[in-house]
Amino acid sequence: MIYKKLPQWFLLILPAIIILAAVILIPLLFSLYSSFTSYRLTRPDTLFNWIGTFNYEKAVKSGVFWAAFGRTILFLTIALNLEMFLGLGLALLVSRVTRGQRMLRTIMMFPMMFSPVLVGFQFKFIFNDNVGLVNNALQSLGLSNSAIPWLVDEKLAMFSIIFAEVWMSTSVFAILILAGLFSIPQDPQEAAKVDGCTPWQSFRHITLPFIMPFIFIAMAIRSLDVARAYDIVQVMTNGGPARRTEILWTLIGRTGYVDAKMGYANAMGYVSIFLAIFFTIYFFKKLNAARVELGMAR
Amino acid sequence: MKKSLIQLLLSASTCLAMMATSPVLAGDYEGVTIDAKLIGGQQYEGLYALISNWESATGAKVNIVSKKNHFELDREFKSDIAAGTTDWCVGSNHSSFAPQYPSLYTDMSPYNNADQLAGFIPAMIKSSTIGGRLVMLPRAQFDVSVLYYQVSLYEDASNQSAYKAKFGVDLAPPITLNEFKQQAIFFADPPNFYGTQYAGKDEGAAGRFYEMVVANGGAMFNADFTPAFNSDAGRESLQWFVDLYEAGAVPPGTTSYLWDELGAGFASGTIGINLDWPGWSGYFNDPEASKASGNVGITVQPMGSAGIHTGWSGFHGFSVTEDCANKEAAASLVTFLTSEASQIAESAGGSLPTRSSVWDVVVAAADGDEYRTMALNAFKEGAKHAFAVPQTEYWIEATNLIFPELQAAILGDKTVDEALQDASDAVDEMMQENGVY
Repeated sequence: MIYKKLPQWFLLILPAIIILAAVILIPLLFSLYSSFTSYRLTRPDTLFNWIGTFNYEKAVKSGVFWAAFGRTILFLTIALNLEMFLGLGLALLVSRVTRGQRMLRTIMMFPMMFSPVLVGFQFKFIFNDNVGLVNNALQSLGLSNSAIPWLVDEKLAMFSIIFAEVWMSTSVFAILILAGLFSIPQDPQEAAKVDGCTPWQSFRHITLPFIMPFIFIAMAIRSLDVARAYDIVQVMTNGGPARRTEILWTLIGRTGYVDAKMGYANAMGYVSIFLAIFFTIYFFKKLNAARVELGMAR
Repeated sequence: MKKSLIQLLLSASTCLAMMATSPVLAGDYEGVTIDAKLIGGQQYEGLYALISNWESATGAKVNIVSKKNHFELDREFKSDIAAGTTDWCVGSNHSSFAPQYPSLYTDMSPYNNADQLAGFIPAMIKSSTIGGRLVMLPRAQFDVSVLYYQVSLYEDASNQSAYKAKFGVDLAPPITLNEFKQQAIFFADPPNFYGTQYAGKDEGAAGRFYEMVVANGGAMFNADFTPAFNSDAGRESLQWFVDLYEAGAVPPGTTSYLWDELGAGFASGTIGINLDWPGWSGYFNDPEASKASGNVGITVQPMGSAGIHTGWSGFHGFSVTEDCANKEAAASLVTFLTSEASQIAESAGGSLPTRSSVWDVVVAAADGDEYRTMALNAFKEGAKHAFAVPQTEYWIEATNLIFPELQAAILGDKTVDEALQDASDAVDEMMQENGVY
């Protein structure tokens, strides 16, 4: 029997290999293959129509694709940095609370519990120009006498989406940074106090280096999340109007499922993966550097 | 109460009529199970309650395996085609979506003779026939947009005198698209009140543009499906949208509105005149749901500069898959669901029939209900000008290329000429890529 000749360690991990191959490797290879075909969902025979690198060339030459690519990087950069600063602030505040901290931590996690689709609908209503909460409040308070087109104006629409994204996910940063704050040894802090350091100096030179690895872990996780952002944008603006909020995955989703051009959508998806790979490598390098600084790695 | 009684009587007479006129003999399909994927939603469910009558008459069973809205069904159908799992039998279809599934559905002509088809409005059968194949039979769910307006705006003495002084004509619901625009700008008082609104995204935006192009004497495509909308009619149509937006006569968010937002907008009482679908008529006049109730007027949709009325229309229907194991039984179910009796029962719920004879029944049932009678008269008149979407399987894909360019012009990112040129180029490239020409 062949299986008797196989090493025991391999036999033991074989089920895991088979499952991983079935749910990850095969779909990945299939989508990679289909990106070299003219595959349309409504015409199954096109799956065998090999067109070489046509889809990739089309994506690379497409202004719409690169505009969406650029917008995704902009979206990612702003959302990630805002979430980091706000999360850091929240964590620092909560870490100072001595009574009811557990309750605060639970409340802080509420936005994470909402489905992104729900958050999208919630903010779509809040920012609606006609019946939305924000415009009604501004008009009632006499701060504005016009209907501000939150989800239409080029800058305001991106702001509204980023606002929703930040509202939902800042607590991811806050929770991870809070965990970092709890793990800081007290000795250096006390030594700094004795040496007469100001609170800013203590934070800058002691607290921050200790929590940097946690910040970079949060950055790496969230960068992957935001780079794949779809639900909130799809619900709030569907990439519009006039492609003003089009990001990679609204474009790819529409191309694949509405236009049924799965081959082209997969090619755009593979080009986009480089974005996720770049950010992951970048943040892991930063994480490693932060750990080296703390003497936790070489 | 009176309406409920009428609906009850109609349903009862429908059941009797079906038993009496059904061409299928009892037990014909004993032991056959028909898997069906149907559109779900309150307005569509009433018809499905009658399926048990067909089951009793034929001995077959209907197994509804999926019930979703049409956009979700569309994705499911595409996934089924991709996976080769199309051996279910009956599917809900729509005139705008039907051309996308060239291989999914069978030709239903062999199962329906000319007499059976003669009862349908001929234009519907024409739109259901794609590439010479009758791929669907229409149910009593016909859509064409008519003009809704707030009656008080036209009855207001100061409005009447101001309008007469400004334009030299009496204030009355608009007959042309130019009048429509003129009145919408005249009524607008943003941000509290807007003259009108329009669907600003997806197929909704492209569909509205399409009907304006036709009304202004143009066409979306030439006979060989090369784009034809970058024309004088196209420019006139797109300029209409741009002018309304620039004048502040529409809500600034209209470019992100689709049917639900538009319906809610008119019902909020903040919109003066509105092109919308028949299905909203009850909602708009419902005191519980609409601030415009008791103040709603409905009339035929306006016409463009070519003297043609707008009339982008669509209708729902049923199709039988090519891979169905018992197409005859499935076709029998579709014939039943689209029969005169079924259409009488379904339109008792407020939807519009696709059979000429059923219109008379529906109008008679509305006798004494002033609002419903006005609505039906408008829909009947509007239906005369109805035209379906161009019959290409790439219609939805084309609309996805066109509507962002329309938005770009409306929002001022591009001029009308630039937007139409870009949209035309993109559609042309897509059609060539798909081997259409």
